[in-house]
Formats: sequence, C-alpha cells, structure tokens
Amino acid sequence: MKRSLRSRGLFIGLMFLLPNILGFLAFILVPLLMSFGMAFTDWDFLRHNIFRDEPMSFVGLDNFLRLFTHPQFWDYLGNTFFLMLGLPFAIAGSLGAAVLLTRAGEAKHRIKPVVCLATLIMVVCGIMLLKSGMAESGVWLFFGTLTAVTLVAGVMSGGTLYRTLFYLPNFTAGVATYVLWKKLYHPNTGPINQGLGTLLDGLGAWVNSMPAVFAYGMPLVAAILFLLVTFWNIRRLQRSWDLSDGGLVALCFGSATLAVPLALLLSWLGLSTGTAILISVLGMAGFVILTSFRSRPWGVAKPADKGLGTEVALALLLIPVMLILAAAMVIGPTLPAVATVGIPAPDWLGDYYWAKPALMIMGLWAAIGSNNMILYLAGLSNISPELYEAADMDGATGTQRFWHITWPQLAPVTFFISIMSVIHGLQGGFEMARTMTLGGPAGSTTTLSYFIYNEGFETGRIGYASAVAWVLFALVFVISMINFRYGNRHVQD
Amino acid sequence: MKKVFLGILIALVVSSSLLYFTAPDRSSPVPVLYWVTQDDPVKRETISLFKEWLQDEGLPPLEIKIDNSNADATKKLTQGLSGVGADLFDVYTGQGALFASSGMLHDVTDQAVAMGFGPDQTYPSVDSIFYEGRQYGFPRNVGVFVNWINTEAFAKYGIPEPDHRWTWDDFERIGKAFVTAANPPGTRERSYFMRNVSISTLRRGLGLSIFNETMTRCILDDPRNAEVMRRYKRWVTDLRLIPTTAEQGAMAANSSRAGDGYFYLFTTGRYAMLNVPRWGLIRLRPMGKVPFRIVEPFHSGFPNSEMGAGMVSVYEGSKYKKEATLFLKFLTTKRFNLLVIRSGDSLPPVPKYINTEEFLKPVDHPDEWEAHKVFARVGPEIGIGYARSPFVLLGIVNREDTKVSNSVIAGRIAPEDAGKELAQLLNSEIDRTLEVNKNMRQKYDDLVKLQQQIDELRANGEPVPLEWISNPFHRVYYKAQGWLAEDSQS
Repeated sequence: MKRSLRSRGLFIGLMFLLPNILGFLAFILVPLLMSFGMAFTDWDFLRHNIFRDEPMSFVGLDNFLRLFTHPQFWDYLGNTFFLMLGLPFAIAGSLGAAVLLTRAGEAKHRIKPVVCLATLIMVVCGIMLLKSGMAESGVWLFFGTLTAVTLVAGVMSGGTLYRTLFYLPNFTAGVATYVLWKKLYHPNTGPINQGLGTLLDGLGAWVNSMPAVFAYGMPLVAAILFLLVTFWNIRRLQRSWDLSDGGLVALCFGSATLAVPLALLLSWLGLSTGTAILISVLGMAGFVILTSFRSRPWGVAKPADKGLGTEVALALLLIPVMLILAAAMVIGPTLPAVATVGIPAPDWLGDYYWAKPALMIMGLWAAIGSNNMILYLAGLSNISPELYEAADMDGATGTQRFWHITWPQLAPVTFFISIMSVIHGLQGGFEMARTMTLGGPAGSTTTLSYFIYNEGFETGRIGYASAVAWVLFALVFVISMINFRYGNRHVQD
Repeated sequence: MKKVFLGILIALVVSSSLLYFTAPDRSSPVPVLYWVTQDDPVKRETISLFKEWLQDEGLPPLEIKIDNSNADATKKLTQGLSGVGADLFDVYTGQGALFASSGMLHDVTDQAVAMGFGPDQTYPSVDSIFYEGRQYGFPRNVGVFVNWINTEAFAKYGIPEPDHRWTWDDFERIGKAFVTAANPPGTRERSYFMRNVSISTLRRGLGLSIFNETMTRCILDDPRNAEVMRRYKRWVTDLRLIPTTAEQGAMAANSSRAGDGYFYLFTTGRYAMLNVPRWGLIRLRPMGKVPFRIVEPFHSGFPNSEMGAGMVSVYEGSKYKKEATLFLKFLTTKRFNLLVIRSGDSLPPVPKYINTEEFLKPVDHPDEWEAHKVFARVGPEIGIGYARSPFVLLGIVNREDTKVSNSVIAGRIAPEDAGKELAQLLNSEIDRTLEVNKNMRQKYDDLVKLQQQIDELRANGEPVPLEWISNPFHRVYYKAQGWLAEDSQS
C-alpha cells in the first residue's frame, strides 16, 4: 500500500516536472550537444541543408585553429573585454545605490539638508543659464531641476520613488533605451554634448588664459601622481611579500598592474608597441626577481597564490586611475593648441575611440539599477541589526561600519553578482551594438556575440560560429573557475 | 491545484486547435500562398490586381497573404532552410546569391522561357535574377541610384544647382559653398550637402571595380582606390559635406520620423541632396509639395550608377510552386507595371513601360515630369549591376568594405592602405571558400586561366571577347572604351 502510494506520488511529481524537463531537453541540452558536435564540422548553411545533398565533413580542430589565426577574432575579443572593464564600477554602483536606498527611508525625517541640496542644484543651474544663454544651457536647467525635484520627492516618499527610478532601466525594453541613448549621444543636439559643450567652452577659455599651466603643469602633476601611485604599490607589494601576505603569483599579478599602464604610457609617448611592452615586461621581471630575494621573517606564504584576490581587486581600481594619469601626461602638452579652436565634445558613437566607452557608460547606467541592486538590497536587509548596534557601542564610524560589517556580510552576494556579471559581460553586447552602432565604427564595438551572429546567420558558417560559441563558453568557464577559486575566499568566513 | 492545472492544459489544447483549424490556409477554399514582403497599400493592391488577372486569364483563383514579420534576411534564410519558408518572398540584391546558393530558391529558368518572364523581359543590367546561369525569380522593381536636389535649399543660399552630368570637383566646389552658407558660426543643427555617396560608384568613375573581370580576385590594391578614399575622407572629415554613419543615424533618430527620417531632413534642407532610387517618391509625396530636381550621380571620368533589383522568388519547399510561378508571370503584365509607376516605386520591371505617358507624365504630379525624364534615362544609359563574385558573399563584401571605409574615416588606416587591407580580407575569404568548398575549385581555376588570357590581351592592347567577362562593370566599361572584340559586342 505504502509502496503504491510512493509510486503514485513519484509519478505525479514527474508529471509536474515533465514540461520543464521536456523544455530543457528540447531547447537547451540537445541544442547544446548539437552545437558542440557542429563545432568540429564544416557545416555551412548554404551547402548542407535540406535542399542540398552535399555531405558534411568532420574537420577536427580546424574551426578552432582558423579562429585563433583570424585577426579579427582577437579584435572582437579585445572589444568584449574592454566593455567588461565597466563591471567593477557597475557592481560598486549597484552596492552604492542599494546602500543609499536603505538610507533614503531614514532621511525622511531629515528633509532639511535635502531641500538645501536641491536648492543648491537649482541655483547652480540658474547661474549656468544666466552665464551661457538659454539655448546652450537650457539642458542644464532642465536636468538640474529634474534632479532637484527627484531628490526631494524621493526622500519624501521614503525611498520608494528612488527604488522605482533606479530599477526603471531593468524593466524598460532594451531597444527602446538604446534609441533613447542614441538621442542622448547625438554629437550636435544630444543633451550630453549640449551640457558638455558649456563645460568644455569654459575649460577651453581657462586653458587659453593660462596655457603654460596646462601644457607643463598638468603633465607634471599627473607624472608626480603616477610615480607616487607606482611607488606606493611597489612598497605595498614588498611589504605584502615580507609579511607573507602575498605569494609569488600575487606578486607577479601585482607587478603586472604596474606594467600595463607603463606599457600604454610608453606607447602613447611614441615608442613602438613592441619596445613599450619589452621595457615594461623587463621592469616587471626585474622587480619580481629583486623582491623575491628579500628575506621573509614570517616564512613563505602558503599557498603561492595567497593574496591574489586582493591584487585582482586592486588592479581593477588602480589600472583605470593610472591610465587616466597617463592620459593627462600625454594630452596636457597638446591641450593649449586644441583649446585655441575650442575643445570639441566627443562624437560618442561615431568616433572609433569613443564608441566603446559610450556603450560602456550606457551599460553602467543600466547595470547600476539592475537585479544586482535588488540582490544587494535583499542582502542588506539580512544583516543583523545587532552587529551595527555593537559597532555603535564600540564607537565605530560610518566607514568602519561599512568595511567591517556591511562589506563582509555581503560577500556571498558580491561573489554571486561577480560571477553572473562576468558571464553576462562575456556573452553580452550584441543587442546594444546591433541597435546603436551595427558593430562599428570600423568594428570597434563588435563583440564576440556579434561575431557569432555574423558568422552564423549572415554568412551561414554554422560550424565555425559554433566553434566561436564554444570558445566563448570556455572563456566564461575559465574565468568563473578563477572567480570560484579566488573570489569566494572570504565568503565562508 | 490539480484541477487548475488540468483546466489550463485543456484551455491550451482547445486554443491551439482553434488556431490550427481557423488558419487561413485551412479555412480558404482556394490555395493560400504566403508572400514575405512589406505590408503596405501597394502590396495589397498588387494582390488584388493579381487576383483580377488570374480571373481575366481564366486561371484558377489563389489567395495571397502578406507575411510582414519575417522580412529580415536572416529570418528568411533560417526559416527557408528549416523547411518552413513562405511560398513567395522578396529577395534583394545582396540576398540573391546567398539564397540561391543554399538551394532554397526554386529554379524557374524553364518556366520563365515557357511563360514569358525570362531575362529578355527586363533590363540587361539586372543580372541579380541569375545564379550560376540559372534564373531564380523576376524583378518586382528595379532601383537605379540618382542624386536628388532640394532646389529650395539651393535657392535659399543662392548656390547654383549642379548640372545633369557633374564631376567630383563640381561636388566639392558646390558642396563647400553650400555647407559654408548653410552653417554660419553658432549653428546648432548642421546641414550637410549630401546624405551619403556610393563608394562603388566613385571607384567605377575611375574605371575601377572591386573585383577583376572574372571576379576571381579583389583588385582594390590600386592607386585609384587610394584616390577614392582620400576624397571620401576629405568630404566626410575635413569639409564635412557628408555626415558619418553615426551622424546619419543620430540625425534620423532626432527627426522623430520613424523609417523615413532622412527624407524629412531632405525636405527641411538639412540634407541638400540625397542619393536614392526613384522609390524616394513614395516617401516624399506624402510630405507635401517638395521642390526637387534629379541629376546623375557625380563622376570622375566614367559616369555610372548602381542598379539593383528587388526580386520575387519562389520557395523550393513550397507546396504551391506552380501557382507561385504565376505570380512571377504577373510581374510582367501591364497592370502590375503601371501600378509600380503610379505608386512612385523604383523603375517598373519591364523596361518598355518607362517610355509611356503614365511614367513620363503622371497626371497627378505635373511637377515631377522633368524628374521622370531623368529617371527614364539614367537606368538604361549608365545603370550597372552590382559585382557579385560567386566565391565570396556580397554580404561579406559590403560588411568589410564599410568597415575599411570607416577605418579610413576614423584615421586608423591611411587611404593608401585601405585597398590593400580590403583586398587582403576579401581574397582570404575567396581562398577560404575554395578550401572548404572543393566543388568550386575547378570552376575557379578555369576562370583564373581566363583572367590570365584577358590580362595578356589587355597588356598587348588587343580586344577581349565579351563572353569572357563576368563582372557587369567591366562588360560596360570595356564596351565604352572600345576594348571588346568586335564579334562579341552585340
């Protein structure tokens, strides 16, 4: 009797699961296995289909070999990684938004500073308007007033309005937002350039009034800061080595953080790419060798990759900062000449060098208020208030509360978000590039997913496109494994 | 809960059955054919005229339904090759070889001869209806690119309009004068002289084509291509006579006129000129009276214009191939050709109708009569089909050509290196095709030998037989230069 009941229960359970299992088999598992098989064939839509009886051939690793020797593949891989540079900022933005949103409700009873801030924004906009005339700075007034109104209304609503606004990009159709951004990015009439135009005009006038400061002062300050950051990092790496906080792998990675901006700076200053890379690699190798010979009173770090997670996190912050300083060194001397004819606002989607950052900024906007923010909000609400109370009793500051309670408590959420963001980052970019730039100008926004579409559906090379897709999968897999290996160290603590 | 699930299941089964049994092809007493095309009044009128024609000819009745949602090329391809394509579909110039080579298009060569819609019924330059010598459809209309002038914009700034036949230097001179007058300092919304130009037309103007005579190799590593790219870069980045692709997109997005933004910008003078075929009338007529003139595309020695056909093809997997072929025959009829003329679409598929009163002097549009004279002349006089090598898809050619041109505009490639870069890319694509498609090797080798013979004859200054040349541009160019063997010129 019991057995027949159990069988019946099992049968009913399976019947409930059946639609999902069938869907998974038909639309995921079978296509997945087929695409894996296809990657090793010469399947070409145009030659191997129901109307042609030409047999398909097994080509072994040909598709993969062809792919790795295809010069454009590396360009598109580079584009994909470039667009992913925005991920740490997007994650930080989501966390920031979530923290602010949890605080917004508390601010309801402290409306006075918010109203003051709103008034200040409107006053600044008014001054901009008076200074530059309606046509150019109307947009400042509009956005300034909008910001001020949102600020006040958001606080008065206890944060509900903010939550809705922040999450808005996530439930708006992608293509609609891309068209909107296309308008925002319009080189002549887009609000972004209209707003920037006023600032750049001001900057231009400023540069013209003191050209020497910008030609020599700015590069000098940037160079000093670049050196300071470099020496700070060298010193930090040495200390980490001495105290056995970092192993050899971490030391090498940390050195690479210094070598990459140096190589780019040398190349921007006119050295050939090969020489710039050689100098940087030699410098990095020299530093690693010298440091590794230093005595270690605390013993050898075990394992050798100890401290790698910290180095990766620091690299994500330091490399952009050092690149900005390097750019300031290079741009500074040319700025006075450019300013004499006016500093132009960027042609966001039309310029080869601006198109990728433009898409990255847009992606950042969408990502900050995305599901990541919701996950962080849920994570924040799960942190026990007793921890904060205890910290308050110990006299902890806001910053200390964040770094010693909030951040560690959110580690599992951050880990999950990082994994998912990397996966989406590697797979993404197609819809955005297809709508906004068609992969251009000159292929600067063509990502791997766009490349797969082109090869598979525009030229019919399904076998080759499958190979690209599996290489993409391998990348996702390897990066996720690295993330699992090093990223979740503190999750279980 | 079980009852709820059961109820949902029953509702789904009932709804699916209802949909299945009420589908047009089940409820109709006559065969229903699906046609993948744009859903617009002209297409709907085409269908009703087709039905009338069937009745007048005593042919069995048919129903045609428009499928507007699968007009994208990739959808046509994937659906066609999956066995669920529509019975009839529109095939544009870049798609013909792609679809025909896949086998999804029905070979209508024999029916075309028997029923009277063979190549003799349309323009000699329209060769996109063929693939490997077989016919795979019939044109619905034929587009020849011409330059449209907004005469009001020229008059506003006192700039003289270009002549009917004009040169690169004229373009640069008049263009500079126009953008200077139309964009005084402080102008927020820039006006451009022309929306876009065809790089292929510019190359052909200097006697250069993207492929050689037998279309076995890309030959753009040539000083003439460097000159084309230099000029193009100057017009876009230095003189700013033409917007970049991104600027074009941004201007269209800003015009708040979905789909026909650049025609609206033309009417307002933001573009003084356009480079589009006659179908521009479909977009311009509803915008009210816009004073315009038509001239040939500007040239640099050899006047020419790109000519392409919007073809209708029959799906190889259709249940109604015989019935669908009747539709192709219908495209040669007077009633259909007059509809094309009336609607303001590109040239009618049968050339004899461009010399009719209906084409030259449409009663409702007397202000267009001068323009129609030009439309009628440009196609037969200087229209040349696209160069489509059987060894590399036109889609790849266009994509790489655009990419390299954009690289020149972005300053990443010098104009002098653009041809070399593109030739390398396209020739490696040709090599790849031959590597994976062994069946093409013999044909390719034969054509390479023929090319060597052509090169030898040309080096000795001797004439070349027309039948050796497959590139449509070289066929016309050789004839114009008097380089063809006399017995092959007919």
